[in-house]
Amino acid sequence: MEMRIAWKLFKRELFQGQLLLIILAITLAVLSVTGLARVSERLQIAINGQASKFIAADRIINSPTPIDSEILTIASSLGLAHAQSMQFNSMVYANDNFQLVTVRAVDSKYPLKGQIELVDGVTHTLPPADTLWYETRLGGILNSPSSLEIGNAEFRLGAEIARLPDAGFNPFASSPVVLMRLDDVVKTGVIQPGSRVSYIHQFAGDADKLAVLEEAVKPLLNNSQRWVDVQSGDSPIASAVKRAERFLLLASLLGIALACAAIGIAAQRYCQRHFDVVAMLKTFGASSQQIRVLFGVHLLLVTSLGIILGLLGGLALDAMLTAYLPQAIAEYDAPLARPLLLGVATGLISAFMFSAYPLMRLLSIPPLRVLQRQLEGVQFGMWLHLLLSVGAMALLGYLYSQSLALTMTVVAGVLLLGILLSLFGFVLISAGHSVGMKTTNPMQLALAGLRRRAKQNAVQLVGFSSALVLLLTIIALRQDLLDEWQKQLPEGSPNYFLVNIAPDEQQPLNDYFSLNAIKATDIYPVIRGRLVQINGEDLISSDQADAGNEGRVGISRELNLTWRDNLPPNNDLLSGTFNQASDEVSIESGVAERLGVDLGDALTFEIDNQRLTVNIASIRAVHWETLQPNFFMIFTQEALAPFAYTSMASFYLEDNQKHLVLELIKRFPTVSIIDVGAMVKQLREIIDQVSLSLTLVLVLVLLASSLVMVAQTEAGMATRQRELAVLRTFGASGWLLRMATALEFALLGLIAGVMAVVVAEFTLYLLKTQVFELVVYMHWDWWVLAPLSGAVIVALLGTWRCRQLLQKSCGELLKA
Amino acid sequence: MSDNSAITVNNLIKSVATQEGELTILNGINMDVKLGESVAILGPSGSGKSTLLGLLAALDSPTSGEIFLDGEALHGLDEEGKARLRKEKVSFIFQSFMLVDTLNALENVMLPAELSGVECAREKAEAMLDRVGLSHRLTHFPNQLSGGEQQRVAIARAFICEPKVLFADEPTGNLDGANSDKVADMLFELNRDSDTTLILVTHDLQLANRCERQFIMQAGLLTEPDDTLQSDPHESGKLASMEAS
Repeated sequence: MEMRIAWKLFKRELFQGQLLLIILAITLAVLSVTGLARVSERLQIAINGQASKFIAADRIINSPTPIDSEILTIASSLGLAHAQSMQFNSMVYANDNFQLVTVRAVDSKYPLKGQIELVDGVTHTLPPADTLWYETRLGGILNSPSSLEIGNAEFRLGAEIARLPDAGFNPFASSPVVLMRLDDVVKTGVIQPGSRVSYIHQFAGDADKLAVLEEAVKPLLNNSQRWVDVQSGDSPIASAVKRAERFLLLASLLGIALACAAIGIAAQRYCQRHFDVVAMLKTFGASSQQIRVLFGVHLLLVTSLGIILGLLGGLALDAMLTAYLPQAIAEYDAPLARPLLLGVATGLISAFMFSAYPLMRLLSIPPLRVLQRQLEGVQFGMWLHLLLSVGAMALLGYLYSQSLALTMTVVAGVLLLGILLSLFGFVLISAGHSVGMKTTNPMQLALAGLRRRAKQNAVQLVGFSSALVLLLTIIALRQDLLDEWQKQLPEGSPNYFLVNIAPDEQQPLNDYFSLNAIKATDIYPVIRGRLVQINGEDLISSDQADAGNEGRVGISRELNLTWRDNLPPNNDLLSGTFNQASDEVSIESGVAERLGVDLGDALTFEIDNQRLTVNIASIRAVHWETLQPNFFMIFTQEALAPFAYTSMASFYLEDNQKHLVLELIKRFPTVSIIDVGAMVKQLREIIDQVSLSLTLVLVLVLLASSLVMVAQTEAGMATRQRELAVLRTFGASGWLLRMATALEFALLGLIAGVMAVVVAEFTLYLLKTQVFELVVYMHWDWWVLAPLSGAVIVALLGTWRCRQLLQKSCGELLKA
Repeated sequence: MSDNSAITVNNLIKSVATQEGELTILNGINMDVKLGESVAILGPSGSGKSTLLGLLAALDSPTSGEIFLDGEALHGLDEEGKARLRKEKVSFIFQSFMLVDTLNALENVMLPAELSGVECAREKAEAMLDRVGLSHRLTHFPNQLSGGEQQRVAIARAFICEPKVLFADEPTGNLDGANSDKVADMLFELNRDSDTTLILVTHDLQLANRCERQFIMQAGLLTEPDDTLQSDPHESGKLASMEAS
């Protein structure tokens, strides 16, 4: 029977619009969670998929020695795909010429991700036995031979390689690459004990299985063996993806917190609306059990509808977004179960936990309320309400993020925000001077109202300003991230690199660029050298350190050194002054940290068997994500003058200028051209997807904060209704009441705006410095815009609600 | 307490704690109402009428004293027991109608019947609304009905479960003269037909005089005048002076 009454009440209240707010709030929470979980999972898979192509696999183990066979047994037992290859440098011989090449020897599984691009197009096959595929420029250097020798073996020359999927981005890899079958390596006889070889094991498969592999394998690796995934270091998209993930997660959590706040406010109103109904039901003899069941079912119906709408909305959002994604990304399909389950859990947890306290009060409404209207339910104590609300938020945050630390940080942040804003708001309003209650001047009426309802208004201020704070924070972070990415890859980012430019080719090359209006970067000289001493102390390699040798570990490979008069673009000076004297060097901050060196330390390099000692004069941050020539060490020209050098540059060609590449190859046959256009395009696509998801999060946060504002206004008007009715009864005009309400709400909005800006600037400072590593700056325009828009929006909402109320008669208003 | 008592009250006291100390609202009330009787309780505002009504109707608990409703001791019941008793034996009519805004007339009338698990609640509710002359308004919501019509819906709702005792708190207080008479006629007619005991709290002497017995409540004490109160200017004046006191 209770179910029937619950259904009847639900049906009627639904069609009369009384449940709109709470259903909207639940819908929005479910929609946000489902939609964002679905979108971010899809993006995650898509981005990782894209990124996997950069390393031709999902995970790689890179080792200078053959790896422990146990690792391969584990991978095989997990059912992961595995490809094995070797990479080493070797001299090749053909037509009486020698040339150093990078040999990549691969097994039949290569590549696990991505494709080999030949000059003639993409291929899914590998070189046949005794055949090499080679980079075009090798043919030029060796005068187009039909075969060449490596060690003891002779190979036919097959197809020309345009790009290997895991070639990476290394414009300094100046030796041409040849590709051969792994089985053929043994015939060459070039791999001897002590040879410098990279053993590359690539893996691909389910994320869960890869995680198991990682956990099992990492302890088995030694210092010289590297575990590589798409996000570890080398990939130029790694930092973009990491930041975007952090942002999406944070913004989603804040969005959920906001939607929860809306549910909290709506649930309170929902229960207040039913005070009389409960009193009536009790008067007619309904038992506590009957009323519990009735409202439990009622709330379940409300929640179910919210959940269904939210799930549909979430899926629609996903479908909409998918339609905008490039085909290649849209085809990655994320599993549907988790987002849907998360959505349902969110709806149930948020609705029931946020409603629990108001519902307890509702159920405790005494039947005597039918005679004494002022009677309300038992006050169980704010701590219980707070505990339930914070508990719900924490539970949801954890379910969504799976990170206890992040959840606790966000919950603590939101709590602190709430407490600060309440105190701030209460003090501000209470400090206002009471000017009585004259019914002729709307401003005086508004001020008096603000003062009299200081406590309720402080609560409303928290609602309005937290909605604004979170909105402002998300707007600013999104914009900063987009700007940052745009800065990394602006329109016209270089899509070609030139290396091995001889000193006498520099001028003709510059002239050629000018003549054809090609946008090129500065030309950088490149000299190879090895760091051998720090402050006079000899350095050892990491291999030696692994073998148990004592000593300071240096960098185990040759470095590309350059000189320059000024700080390169995309570099930030962190400390010191940029090179002024000939014995000074500027070092990249990551390397400085790894080597444990600081300003003033002396570094000794070995270049062409000569030693050069310089002092660290500055430390730079380098944006490696920018596809620009970047260097660990920058010297003065004077210091490097004694050494032979080549140069490098990068430039940008429009699609319709591509014919210039061929011309360039003909005019400068010894210069190597590396096409990074495909990589730039891929990077741009990823950034576009992430930008889209950032915008989506912003829209959801905007909706959530609007809902909080509407819910708060609704709650605010409920406290004003009786007063409005009394003033109306005493003859106050509609205009006066509307104006007074508008002014009171405008003042609230104004104060909320000011509070929001102060808190948002502080929040942004913390987030940018601690989480996102972005530049901190003040948003001066906000200081005007936020209070103004706060005032206007809140005033409009208040007036709109007031107008609705004033359409009722005094009797109705007083009775309600 | 005799066998045919609907309500028996012995030495009923109700006090509440206020900032100024304890305030006694009802100070030793005694009364006995027979089954099927109609009783009016008159008195000035603040005299304790509504408090007494709340106690008699098992909506509230006394500080001390005894209340028996249809032979059952109210003062010994917990909240659940009182709820059961209300469901089985009691019904109400309020000054402000107290209809559920979101339910239509028919659904409002069905509500107590459904809560009590009455069979054919819908048919009974339709019949009740027909009796109060609202069969053409079944699907109208409270805000689509006049004050008089709303109170007629409330009367239909009050009688649907055939209560032993009906409590009416100023049932005509919100209505104009014509509507007031119509509603009162309907109330007394239904009360007579269903042999319900009626306890009516009112300011309206004319309405009070339609009851078989009248009690006057003043300063927490209940008295029953020997004669029916006259609604002549003299008696009205007497009541008015009570109000002022």
